[in-house]
Amino acid sequence: MSAEQNVYISGRIKQESHLKKFIRENTSVISIFGVLFVVSIFFSSVTNSFLTVNNFTNLIIQIAPNIIVAVAMTFVITTGGIDLSVGSTLALASALAATLLSAGVNGLLTLAIVLLAGVSIGTINGYIIAYHNIPPLITTLAAMMYIRGIALLVTGGYSVAISGQTWLVQLGRGRLLGVPIAVMVAVIIAGMGLVALKYTSFGNYVTGIGANEEAVRRTGVPTRKVKIWTYILTGSAAALGGLIIAARLGSGSSNIGNTFELDIIAAVVLGGTALFGGAGTIIGTIIGVALIGIIQNGLMLMHVSPFIIQIIEGFVLLLAVFINVKFFSNKK
Amino acid sequence: MNNEFQLEMKNIRKSYGNIKSLRGVDLQIKPGEVLGLVGDNGAGKSTLMKVLSGVVIPDEGEFYYEGKKVKVDSPRTAKNLHIETVFQDLSLCDTLSVANNMFLGREPTKFVGGIIDQKVLHAKSREQLNRLGIDISSTRLAVENMSGGQRQAVAIARAMLFQPKVLILDEPTAALGVKEVDMVLKLIKNVKEKGVSVVLITHRLQDLFEVCDRIMVLNEGKCIDDRPMDQYTLETLIKSIMGSPERTNAS
Repeated sequence: MSAEQNVYISGRIKQESHLKKFIRENTSVISIFGVLFVVSIFFSSVTNSFLTVNNFTNLIIQIAPNIIVAVAMTFVITTGGIDLSVGSTLALASALAATLLSAGVNGLLTLAIVLLAGVSIGTINGYIIAYHNIPPLITTLAAMMYIRGIALLVTGGYSVAISGQTWLVQLGRGRLLGVPIAVMVAVIIAGMGLVALKYTSFGNYVTGIGANEEAVRRTGVPTRKVKIWTYILTGSAAALGGLIIAARLGSGSSNIGNTFELDIIAAVVLGGTALFGGAGTIIGTIIGVALIGIIQNGLMLMHVSPFIIQIIEGFVLLLAVFINVKFFSNKK
Repeated sequence: MNNEFQLEMKNIRKSYGNIKSLRGVDLQIKPGEVLGLVGDNGAGKSTLMKVLSGVVIPDEGEFYYEGKKVKVDSPRTAKNLHIETVFQDLSLCDTLSVANNMFLGREPTKFVGGIIDQKVLHAKSREQLNRLGIDISSTRLAVENMSGGQRQAVAIARAMLFQPKVLILDEPTAALGVKEVDMVLKLIKNVKEKGVSVVLITHRLQDLFEVCDRIMVLNEGKCIDDRPMDQYTLETLIKSIMGSPERTNAS
């Protein structure tokens, strides 16, 4: 290159050390991890049962479905969307699974039908949101209502016991090499989510859509399809989560998963995914799910009244959103 | 070449409700020609440019590319025809890195499932920035941390990445300092020599005189003046932009 051609764009950015850069890029994840640590120490000191292998195993089995759904939710929120219908989908999936299994349908077919229901719900939500520009908040709020209604219709409002032996219940109760299968599934899905969000074109589009949807569209990316896919992810993840819960409890019910969506959204937002999109972190989401799980678990072990737990949870959600908007969101 | 025009548009019309943004515009551009597109605010420049790049679909009109009739109905089809655009509002994603922005929608991938080949991505981005003499310390930096000039440079580098045959620049020098304007103008001359057709939209008239071969003036959605550069003076050009072109030997 000749000296004459060598015209530089000015305004350079100072080089910083790798450690500083790491801290700056991961402030939210590091701080939430700090909170997790402090909360764990607190519960360990005030209760005897918190820091036990038994409780830990219990905890990770309980949060496995939440991790699955929260990983999917991270994609939706990173595009700038939201999915409020996951709690109802969870209930419908559990009701559907229990009803089908009791009717003698085999495990594989049940699995397929339940997952297909989740995919369909996601497709409908995504289609309405992406192709008709209806706000995701309203679209999925409506879905939350009618899906819960369908679940009630399926079970008649009763809980349905899963009768007979089917391999499908292993999804909730089984262990492989000592590790609960539900936890394995959650870890695999979290790993796939991590790679997909950070290292694939799809993840790039998801982040880009949250930052500047029109810019992504102008590069020729089918942004509407990308958005539909994110809702298919939440729909099918919620279906899988419902299946796991039904398998663990040995029954399906249309009444599970009330306010489940709020737990999930709180976890994602606590983890540092920007509430209005443009930046998402799967690691943060997992820590967020763990934190909310630990708070619920710890308070229960402290014999705090469930009413008070609900109050505390409400404030945790508020705090999560507050911190997210004030400190971690990209300035818009 | 069986046709002298790289690209030709005939009778382009576009309305937004009652507002007739384009009222029958014709546009031709030859290979290696730099066409200046000027006009007052609201004259239809940006709409015309968006039609060219497939972002806006016209209500009426024909589009010919290398003499063949084509249909440009999405940004993707325009890109496939090697029509690249630098938009006025830049169209970068703030939270993505420089390299990810440059290759957005065309990431080099490996294995299955569209995993981005980070090595190739950053190496190619770096190579392109160096080729254009753009000084950005790391291709891993998020665009949100950059100056207006750097962002502009990234947008231009992206448009230049895939061997464009038609390059559309909407106000490429608006946010830039003197040195950076110089870089952009050099860049335009550079690609022109390689046979790339350039459509330049700008309010900086001195830039037009420096690089353009021809200037088209739009007014209220119509082309009211279209002449080779040497037939304009700064004065006559301003008259045209104001809506009253001199009727010498032109259209």
